[in-house]
Parts: sequence; structure tokens; C-alpha cells
Amino acid sequence: MISQEKIGSLPTRSWYERLNFLNILLIIFLFLAIFSGKNLVDQNRPADVVSGVKYFIKKFFPPDFSNFQLILQSLNETFQIAIVSTFIAVIFSLVIAVGASRNVSPTWLVQSVRMFLNITRTLPSLIWAFLFVIFFGPTPIAGVCALTFYSLGYLGKFFSESIESMDIKVARGLKLIGASPSQAFIYGLWPNVKAQVWSQSLWMLEYNIRSASIIGLVGAGGIGMELNKAMEMASGFQRVTAILICILFIVILLDFLGQGIRRWITQKVNPKSISD
Amino acid sequence: MSIFRTEKLGLSRSKKWLFQNLNLEIPAGTLVAILGPSGVGKSSLLSCLSGSEKPTEGRIEYCLEANDIRSPKTVRPNLGIIFQHLRLTEHVTVLENVLYGKIAKFGLKQAIFGFPKDECSRAYSILADLGIEHLAYKWTAQTSGGEQQRTAIARTLFQNPQFILADEPVSNLDTYYAGRVMGLLRNLASEENKVIFCALHDPQLISRFADYALSLNPEHPEGWNLRKITP
Repeated sequence: MISQEKIGSLPTRSWYERLNFLNILLIIFLFLAIFSGKNLVDQNRPADVVSGVKYFIKKFFPPDFSNFQLILQSLNETFQIAIVSTFIAVIFSLVIAVGASRNVSPTWLVQSVRMFLNITRTLPSLIWAFLFVIFFGPTPIAGVCALTFYSLGYLGKFFSESIESMDIKVARGLKLIGASPSQAFIYGLWPNVKAQVWSQSLWMLEYNIRSASIIGLVGAGGIGMELNKAMEMASGFQRVTAILICILFIVILLDFLGQGIRRWITQKVNPKSISD
Repeated sequence: MSIFRTEKLGLSRSKKWLFQNLNLEIPAGTLVAILGPSGVGKSSLLSCLSGSEKPTEGRIEYCLEANDIRSPKTVRPNLGIIFQHLRLTEHVTVLENVLYGKIAKFGLKQAIFGFPKDECSRAYSILADLGIEHLAYKWTAQTSGGEQQRTAIARTLFQNPQFILADEPVSNLDTYYAGRVMGLLRNLASEENKVIFCALHDPQLISRFADYALSLNPEHPEGWNLRKITP
């Protein structure tokens, strides 16, 4: 007969068995943070926060809204850059994503398309803008091109992941009863991925409006260009504050709107999520 | 006139034959039940016949007219398939799924402007035949397994092909609807001269509705047997 004590006692594990991979990573990360923090503080560049804040309040306030009309115009341009670039990127990404999905395309194509997408994602939007300003000069077109390329990398990846998560058998079934490849995609795959594609595109639009306000710093149009001009002027700090307040207001508004619209679309197109 | 023919058809998987030397000649107006326990190769035979799987050896011929012999790939718009796992597009309405049956007839125009009204009413009347007309505008994902199975059957009935391959088409249905669906398939075969292959388990349904029973035997791949069913 087995005694109760024998059943009840849990076998103990040695300390290295209890230490799993994630815990080790966490410890390494903790050491790195302490080491880097100490390094940064040790550098002989003392920060005078108090006088910095005083300087900021004195120079940057009150905000100067005297050129509000101009700010509105540039904000409008920012919107236009974001909308055009997102639209172009969505169209191209849909095509590219099909090539990057393992369940629809051959391996050689998937790998080369993914390599292209990885490369476009590596460069930040500001660097893309910088490149296109060199090509096109300081115009909104440079901004549109920059954000289009930047978005391609992300949307292509998101869309292909959505397509890969779908049951491809539905589309294959349609082909077996006579559908052409494009019909199989439109009727067998698209209805099931479109909620995700809509939601991801809207997210990208929100993201691009934020990016479009930054890329003007290197001359690619939009509100960023006004920001840059104001910063270069000796008396422009209060204008900078006005512009920053406008950007903040727009971004917050957009976050709320975007969230609401995305939730609405997901429920409208994907009724399953209502019951979830 | 429609005749279905196989010649020395064989399929092997991981060096094991599921069936071999399968020679069939099925005239128009026939319902053939494929029977046997799970894993015997019923679905594999049907996927060979549908062209989604290439047979290891042999030929499959679909004769639409005396001089019009087609392969599984070229017969496609005239070949209806009721899949075991249904393969419906989940995020469209039940009615749209039925309309997809005639997808080969429609162009890309319908993707933008919708399907013609007369086709929609015909699809609706088929749904009514199967007792699910109230679900026409419901999302397919929100319907039950049995309702989805009837939608898949409606899609094939709407397609109205010369040949039908059905992989356990009544597995999710109650006795009443199982009988009704098999009755519809039976009528299609007799009245519209179609050739229907149907993987079935229920011996009662087989004896009531099928003309022939084809049984496979993986122990003896060449020992398949096609027998006429006498009512």
C-alpha cells in the first residue's frame, strides 16, 4: 500500500530547472537597463531641468494663434498626404499580400516579397521622407511617396497574415465548381478577410496622419513644415506651441474616431465578433 | 445524355493502395452510393473524381454528349460538389453562398453590382424547398451546422450540374431533412438524368434512394464491389 505522504509530496526541482528562459531574459534585461542608465548619468552632461522648464514656460507660452488660418491649411495638407498615401498603399499592399501569403503563393515568391516588405519596414518614415525630398524637392508629393512606401511594408505584412489565417479550402472549393482564380479570391477569401483589412487600413490611416505631421520636418509638406519654419524663427516659439496644440488635438480626436469606426466596421462586416 | 466512366482507376497513399483497377460505367439518371466505414477511402475517391487529387493510375471520363468527353478539370461548371466540410464563405449571407453555385456563369461584374434578380429568386425558392428560406439574408457564420449543410446542398442544386459528387451530404441533418435531401437528389437523378455519387453511412437511406452501392475494401484494393440495389 502506498502511504498518503508519498502521494502528497511534490517532487522538488533544482534551481536551474525552475529558472526558465523568459526569467533569464528578464534578468539580462534588468542588468542591461541598470548598466545603461548608470552610463548615461555618468556622462559629464548635467541636465538643468528646472531652468529648462522655466525657459520653456517663458518662451513658449502663451501660444500664438495669429496664423491659425495657415495652420489649418497645413493640417489640411497633412490629411491629404495621409489619405492619398494610405489609399495607394492599401491597393498595392492587397496585391503584394497575396504574393506574401504562404497558403496562396509559391515559396520563392513568398520569400522575395517578404524580403521586400522587410526592407521597406526597416527604414523609418522620416528617412523615407528625407530620401524622397532629395528626389522630388520639398513638396507634398515627396511626403505621399514616403508614407506610401512606409505603409506598404506594414500593410503588406498585416494583410498577408490575415490571408494566411483564412481557410483556403473555401476558395479552392469554388475553383472546383468552375470559379476563376480571381473569382475564388473575391467570393471565397475576400469576404472573410475584409473586416480585418478595413480595420488595419484605418489603423494605418491614423498612423499616417501622425507621421504626416512629422515628415514635414525634413521638407515633405504638411503641418511639420510649418513647425520647422516656426522653430527656425527667433520669435516663433509661441507659434510652435500653437501648432503642437493643434496636432495634439487632431491626433486625440482621430484616436477616438478611428477606434469607434474600426469597432463599428468589425461588427458590421464580421458578425461573429458581436457574440464574442 | 451523360455517362460517367473510369478506367483502371487507382489511388495509393504512403505506398498503400486505397483502391485499384476501378472500372465503372454509370449511365445517366443514376444515383451511386459509396459506402464503407470511415477511412476506407470514400472521400479520397470523391476528391479524385472532382479533380482535386490526381489518381495514381487510370482515367476518369465525363461524357456530356456522344462526342464531348471531359476530364475532371474541363467538366467543372457541370460538376457540382457537396463537400464534407461544406466550404461555405462564412461572412456572406446564406443566399449569396447559394448564388456562388453558378459562379462560373457570372463575371466580375456581379462582384460589384450584385447578382441578377431572377437568379436571386430562383436561389430563394431552392432555400424554401430545403426549409431555410427564412435564413436567406442571415450571415452564414451565424447559422447552425445543419442549416449550413442545407445551404451547401442548395448551392449545388442551384448550380444544376450534370454530375454531382456529395460527400456525406446528410451527416448533420435529422431524419426528416436527411430523407428530404436524399429525395431531392433522387429526383434530380431520375427526372433530370444526372449522375450522382454520394458517400453515405446509413443503410436505410442507401436502400431507399440509391440505384447502385459501391463498396471499397482497402484490405483488397482490387476487391471493390458495385452492386445494384433492388427496392
